[in-house]
Amino acid sequence: MAKLDIVQLTKRFGSVTAVSEASFTVQDSEFMCILGPSGCGKSTLLRMIAGFESATGGDMQIDGESITELPANKRPTAMVFQKYTLWPHMTVYDNIAFGLGLRHLPRATIEKKVHDSLDLVSLSGYEKRFPAQLSGGQQQRVALARAIVLEPKILLLDEPFSSLDAILRVRLREELKRIQRRLKITAIFVTHDQEEALSLADRIAVMNSGRIEQLDHPSTIYANPETLFVADFIGAMNLLKANAQGSSLRVGSKTLPLPDGSIVNGETTIALRPEDLVLVSDTYTGAGEIWKANVDQIMDLGHYRKVLVDVPDVGELKIFIAKSAHINEGDTISLVPARYLVYGQHGSPIEVNRLARPDSQAVQ
Amino acid sequence: MTTLPTSTSGSLWRQRRGLILAYLLVAPPLLLMVLLIFVPAIQSIARTLTTDTTGEAGLSFSRYIAFFQDPISVSNLVFTFQVVFVTLLVIFIVCFPLAIYLRFAQGRIAGAVQILVLFPLFVPGIILCYALIRFLGTRGTLETVLSIFGFMDYSTPYLKPSAIIIGLVWESIPFTVLVLTAGLRQISDSLIESARDVGANDLTIFRRIILPLITRPVLIAFSLNFLGIFGAYTVPYLLGPAAPQMMGVFMQQTFGQYRRPDEAETQAVITFLICSVVGLLYVRTVASQRIQQEDAE
Repeated sequence: MAKLDIVQLTKRFGSVTAVSEASFTVQDSEFMCILGPSGCGKSTLLRMIAGFESATGGDMQIDGESITELPANKRPTAMVFQKYTLWPHMTVYDNIAFGLGLRHLPRATIEKKVHDSLDLVSLSGYEKRFPAQLSGGQQQRVALARAIVLEPKILLLDEPFSSLDAILRVRLREELKRIQRRLKITAIFVTHDQEEALSLADRIAVMNSGRIEQLDHPSTIYANPETLFVADFIGAMNLLKANAQGSSLRVGSKTLPLPDGSIVNGETTIALRPEDLVLVSDTYTGAGEIWKANVDQIMDLGHYRKVLVDVPDVGELKIFIAKSAHINEGDTISLVPARYLVYGQHGSPIEVNRLARPDSQAVQ
Repeated sequence: MTTLPTSTSGSLWRQRRGLILAYLLVAPPLLLMVLLIFVPAIQSIARTLTTDTTGEAGLSFSRYIAFFQDPISVSNLVFTFQVVFVTLLVIFIVCFPLAIYLRFAQGRIAGAVQILVLFPLFVPGIILCYALIRFLGTRGTLETVLSIFGFMDYSTPYLKPSAIIIGLVWESIPFTVLVLTAGLRQISDSLIESARDVGANDLTIFRRIILPLITRPVLIAFSLNFLGIFGAYTVPYLLGPAAPQMMGVFMQQTFGQYRRPDEAETQAVITFLICSVVGLLYVRTVASQRIQQEDAE
């Protein structure tokens, strides 16, 4: 139950800037994800909050009090690490009780807290096991229990599920979210997995080369990525080079409209979500531009299909279509770019909506 | 089932061939050990038990009784234990901080310390002894430097037990630091960081996390150093007092100078038995490690 303020936080290793003037606030009981490719500085940022790295500049405050100068063992934070997190010579019970023991709590209290926390992560009865006798998923659940049992003001998680297999990862993710909601704990979760971030977070901070490029709700980040990097990194996206002249965009030999009064000119990039390329019948005469496309490859992904198509003069695009649509590899189909974002050299992207999407044909 | 399928007998043959090859590979070192170590050792042990001090045949413990009744022999044995104990203590006091420093420090200074720590490995024992005599001896470097600063009461450790301990500690540092550092490197950073995260200070981390996780390297360093020090010869011979003596010097003198091979043999068997207890500790430590590793795999 706490609020965390990060103010102009910077970390430099020699001449390399790992984190550059990060500023944001994590609200009480908020679940924040820091998302970015490896080497973007997200782990360094988290380790500064935990106290394992000293900050080169800036400040960190929990409920208004600076923690920047506190050593890691005095900070009201608790961290779940990526792997090798449990002490192998201690039982599950001792692992969880270790931090409580350091606080000189009475034995009965410790016992109750350990049992409650194991109950929370559905591992009751595992008290006497050693870490080597647990599966990877169970080990990470114990690590979570060990962090939560101390009732930290901020819970920090550094890619805690990334060494687990896909199915387990999704299960633990759901479990973590349930626990976080139940305890109303403020949490920061670092990951390079956008699906993990989108499904867990109240808000996502997307990081790239030490900078936070965008911080917003998952749906906003998905629908309105602020920068080209975010557009490319989050979700599937088609990026097309284009040339803006007045109120039109030239993409190869095709033309797309720009809203009146747009200030972009010259080199631009169009970002098109696969689900925003809408499949229409050959006799379609509605709004929008119709692009003829050749179907190169169809990948069945269960409840929908991912299709690679070639639009002559524009290039290869990926689209998502419903299973019910009857298309085969080699067919020629008609597509309408329903919604796209235009990124100029500077400033925010311009959003263009060409039609209210015929939902029966588009699958998200 | 009267006949085995041919494929099974084929794989059986292959299995057997592999086994024969394995035995052939093990045979030469095993034979050498049996012929050069086990047989002479058993012969010696048998001789010490089957002939008495007067040379008469028959089962008798008289040689051992004589050893433990002889005050010089006993005092040499006790002295050896004392030197081993103090030396081991000093070794761990010196090497633990060094190993922890080398495990956690980064940069150029750590690299230099690493080289310095390994340096004694490249200095032959006899050269070390004469270097120490020059450094620590009467009118040696240390005394001269101290006298410059007005310290005149220098009493040299040369020819005293402390000189043996200094020499043996110096010789044992590289190996001990290597073993301890290797053990410490097995402990991942996240294990230490997670302890700090839940509120442990440096001392608690050392006591509750690091120490329990390196008991095995500590036992290995302890047992191998014990064996090396207990049977040391060069350092105690050149730096130590004339009496009491460590077992290595004592045996050599009994055998070479006093020409009493029977007594030397008894001393050797006693030394051998003490060392084999510690050797067993070493073997058990290494074996348990292998079992654990196989479990983990």
